[in-house]
Amino acid sequence: MNFDYSEEQKMLVQSLERTLAKTYDFETYRSQLATKSSHDPALWSSLAELGIMAMPLPESAGGFDGDHTDIALISAELGRRLVPEPYVSNVVLSAFVLNACGGENATEQLGEIATGETKHAVGFYEPGERHNPLALGTKAEKTADGWSITGHKAVVLGGDTASKLIVSADAGGASLFMVPVDADGLTVRKYQLLDGRGAADLIFDNVSVGADALLGESGQAEAIILDAVDRGAAALVADSLGAIEEIIDMTKEYLRTRTQFGRPIGSFQVLAHRMVDLLVDYEQAKSMSMEASVEADNENATARQKAISACKAKVGAVSRKFGKESIQMHGGIGMTDEYALGAYVKRLLVNETMFGDTEYHLERYSSL
Amino acid sequence: MELSLTAEQTAFRDEVHAFLKENLPEDIKHTQTSGGHLSKEQHQRWHKILGDKGWSTPLWPLEHGGTGWSPVEYAVFDEECYRMGAPRVLPFSVSMLGPVLINFGNDEQRERFLPGIRSGENWWAQGFSEPGAGSDLASLKTSAVRDGDHYVVNGQKTWTTLGQHGDWIFCLVRTDASADKPQTGISFILIDMRDPGVEVRPIITLDGSHEVNEVWFTDVHVPAENLVGQENMGWTYAKFLLQNERIGIAGIGQSKEQLVSLRRLAAAEKKNGKPLIEDPSFRAKLSEVEIELRALDLTNKRMLVETERGMDPGPVSSMLKIRGSEVAQRLFELKMDAAGLYALPFQPEAGDAGWNDQLAGTLAQARSAPHYLNTRKISIFGGSNEIQRSIVSKMMLGF
Repeated sequence: MNFDYSEEQKMLVQSLERTLAKTYDFETYRSQLATKSSHDPALWSSLAELGIMAMPLPESAGGFDGDHTDIALISAELGRRLVPEPYVSNVVLSAFVLNACGGENATEQLGEIATGETKHAVGFYEPGERHNPLALGTKAEKTADGWSITGHKAVVLGGDTASKLIVSADAGGASLFMVPVDADGLTVRKYQLLDGRGAADLIFDNVSVGADALLGESGQAEAIILDAVDRGAAALVADSLGAIEEIIDMTKEYLRTRTQFGRPIGSFQVLAHRMVDLLVDYEQAKSMSMEASVEADNENATARQKAISACKAKVGAVSRKFGKESIQMHGGIGMTDEYALGAYVKRLLVNETMFGDTEYHLERYSSL
Repeated sequence: MELSLTAEQTAFRDEVHAFLKENLPEDIKHTQTSGGHLSKEQHQRWHKILGDKGWSTPLWPLEHGGTGWSPVEYAVFDEECYRMGAPRVLPFSVSMLGPVLINFGNDEQRERFLPGIRSGENWWAQGFSEPGAGSDLASLKTSAVRDGDHYVVNGQKTWTTLGQHGDWIFCLVRTDASADKPQTGISFILIDMRDPGVEVRPIITLDGSHEVNEVWFTDVHVPAENLVGQENMGWTYAKFLLQNERIGIAGIGQSKEQLVSLRRLAAAEKKNGKPLIEDPSFRAKLSEVEIELRALDLTNKRMLVETERGMDPGPVSSMLKIRGSEVAQRLFELKMDAAGLYALPFQPEAGDAGWNDQLAGTLAQARSAPHYLNTRKISIFGGSNEIQRSIVSKMMLGF
């Protein structure tokens, strides 16, 4: 047994760290948010050049055949720097779905993800269905030359920047379709999430697509959907770990340097002990996140789901506690938009809630 | 023992109810119940309506415009206001400054300032905290140096709530830098915010709202007649002011209203094909906070009655603030969790007067995360919960 990353993985992280250290600090993040866009083409292509998009993709599509531990390492760095780019929606969800569904266009489309050239997003969730990824209020009816889709997909991560949308719909059971963003009858309501990442609601009103829009076989997508969501969850958990490490650094520094009553506030036991509890929580969360990144690739669906749910529930609860406690220990300054802490707290909230919140995963864990 | 309201108290509640029904403007009710930010004009319009009725300063002595309500009646009023969707009158002028002027100000100051507080015409801001003086408030550095018939004020205040609307600000300033203890060199002074040298800079908080501000003072000339009470006695007045806040500090009215709106949100959400409110694990969480609120409500009223009989209010207000803030924060947290995925789109202006740009989810869902984030402040401001626990420990345990 070992918990080590390979030399290649360490080098990848170092180059990503270096690039982000040069090009993306908190001020860059703030000015990007001010543009009301989650996406900066220059940053996106510099990330693509590093190979972080190609990393987990199959060699046939120009990728490096990496695994989910690669994704976890990359996600942690993106979380640590608050990068809002649509990495998870493209490289984790869309790439996995395209690869799993196969078909003649899959390799070409995966190649576009590997280079960062075309952006995709995946929509499973629906309004009023909470965290159930198998909700199928959206229907796809067979037409003479393809399909007609009607329905509503909620809070689609990366849906604000994608030109190709992969959505689940009921076509005699769960099925997946690829729809271009400019299809007639499709309304895309774009917005930013709490932390600046982008998303959209997709509203389909008799949207006609060709027969080739169907990915894989109709009615057979359930297992792929559940697998994709687990991979998304494992990536976001790693993203949260990166954010938590940054919160720990900021809070430790504040406890050391902020003086009240003539001494550093960290010397007050009530704060020091709570910080220690957070450090223990972090170690627990980190272990679970490592396990999730390994188990995300497990072909035994029950074992995979159990590990992912355990991890998502654990890291979710720890994240919530980190958010509350780090702000409380900072006091007023932790409440301000100008100070980075709040942005990390919001990033954790989004990661906690996407791809099943803590309650959803606790319940799924206990049902497995 | 009789724990329900007396016939008189019930009649009083009905009277409040009827007044609110008749006089609460629809737009103010709408902004308040939507959870949006009230505009300055809305705040002041509502304050004036209550002032005209004689209800804007209920806890003041009768001769200064109080109502003579008992603490329990005040609690009934507060709860009824929230229940009906009426905003709470901001505490800065009415609950903080007013009682200080009444107890420690002079006749001239009372005549000059109390009418504008009752009507809400003058907007008062609070200038206590500084960047280096938060929990350790007595270490404040803003200085006021006497020069003939005025003081020259220099320094910076922070976390000034709604200071962007302020006409006046009451401040703690250092008038004696050489005093033995930091507490003894502080004075309580009133500053016209339109005076030259006063600058208000916004602080945007993580929920995207502009509620708090920095207020900077550069050689601001303040007439000596604006000093409240005696020079260097400001700390005593400030302690009085903070203690005086105890009625309503537990936020019972607001939490009861939040509980109602949480139930409403959970009834509209679905989980596994059924309303969320019927889900056993949600119900367990809801019941837990509901019971805590029920206990707090009774404890609040029991303690209000006991302080009436002379019990030391010090530890009581701290206890109520600790538990009241925790209950309120828990309610906002449950609401955010109940909102599900639609808590995530960032729509910080949702519900504000004039807002009509609903992008995603319902208004209640859109407000849920900004509210959760915003209410992190209630265990920080007015003396953090850590400080409140130290106060209780000193007073009740002796260490």
